[in-house]
Amino acid sequence: MKQIISSILFLGIIFAKDGNNKEYNPCNHPLIRLAESKGLKAVPLKDIIKLSKLIKECEKSGGKDQIKKLYENDWKRDYKKAKSMASWTSTHAMVVLVSFGYYFAGKVLATKPGSSN
Amino acid sequence: MKSQIYVFIVALLPLVGDVIKAQPKLSIDMGIGFYEPTLVGFDENETVQFPTKSIFNRNMLFNWGIYYEFFNNARIGYNSFTSYEIGKNILLINSEAVFRRSLTYRIFPIETFFRWKPKIELNFTLAPIWGRARIEMDTTPGDKTDDWNYFITSFGGSANPVSDMGATDAMISDWIGYSSLLGFRYYLNTRLGIDVKAGFMNNQYKASEWRIQRQKVTGPELKIDDLPIFSIKIIYGLR
Repeated sequence: MKQIISSILFLGIIFAKDGNNKEYNPCNHPLIRLAESKGLKAVPLKDIIKLSKLIKECEKSGGKDQIKKLYENDWKRDYKKAKSMASWTSTHAMVVLVSFGYYFAGKVLATKPGSSN
Repeated sequence: MKSQIYVFIVALLPLVGDVIKAQPKLSIDMGIGFYEPTLVGFDENETVQFPTKSIFNRNMLFNWGIYYEFFNNARIGYNSFTSYEIGKNILLINSEAVFRRSLTYRIFPIETFFRWKPKIELNFTLAPIWGRARIEMDTTPGDKTDDWNYFITSFGGSANPVSDMGATDAMISDWIGYSSLLGFRYYLNTRLGIDVKAGFMNNQYKASEWRIQRQKVTGPELKIDDLPIFSIKIIYGLR
């Protein structure tokens, strides 16, 4: 019995040591994963400082390409989503453009009553 | 009735799906604006000497806002442009008053946009305005000193301990208007950007529609209709 307990304790210590030896990789952190999959803006504000630290750590540990790709994908994601106007938004933009043009054309071209000969 | 509710939910599904699918974007911004109003009531006032006009109290507007992207390529929000003026020792009949004036153009914009280049966005804003002008003065009314002395003396101590008292009152005017702006935004990173806008605003201000202590009064003549406006601000995307 004594031998069984001591061997369990011994194995426990061995396995615990194994767990601690597991290497920490900042590039696999859930926050970086979230930024990669859903974009940098999906990371909550409270975690921004932590994310920037993780990004630096990841770059130092050889993940420069991964971080570069993360930023590139974020730009691409935003650009892809907003490069063409959806639904009614183009009509709205045209209304603004026409009112803007009409107003400033009026400022330049319109004459005040009594000023023309 | 139950089936009508189901029909309503089914009809809403495509809209709700779109909102959930799109990443919500909340942003805040701060900056300054420039415009050129003609504040006749202050500048040509011969009875009261108001502070000298300058670019800071006439042309400059402090600007802040918050926007929410509620649809693909469209944001709604709140934006406030405020012009301030402060003057000390404004000579009145009984006192040398402190005078504060603000003109706040509270804008409720609907902004549509598209990315011309990955870092460059063009945006188009159409907005109703709820404007408010406020004139506040610290004066020294005589009766107030008597009332306070009477009140304080009732606790004991020396007679008439207070010789000077002040009171602050404000007169306010509200109006409505509209604005149209064209904007150019350059993103420094995916969260941070610089936004430049130009356009115009039209305000239906009336000098006869001021109020002070629930009484209608006539305020200063201000020419704030038909105004070109220019703004520059820094945008930060919260999420």
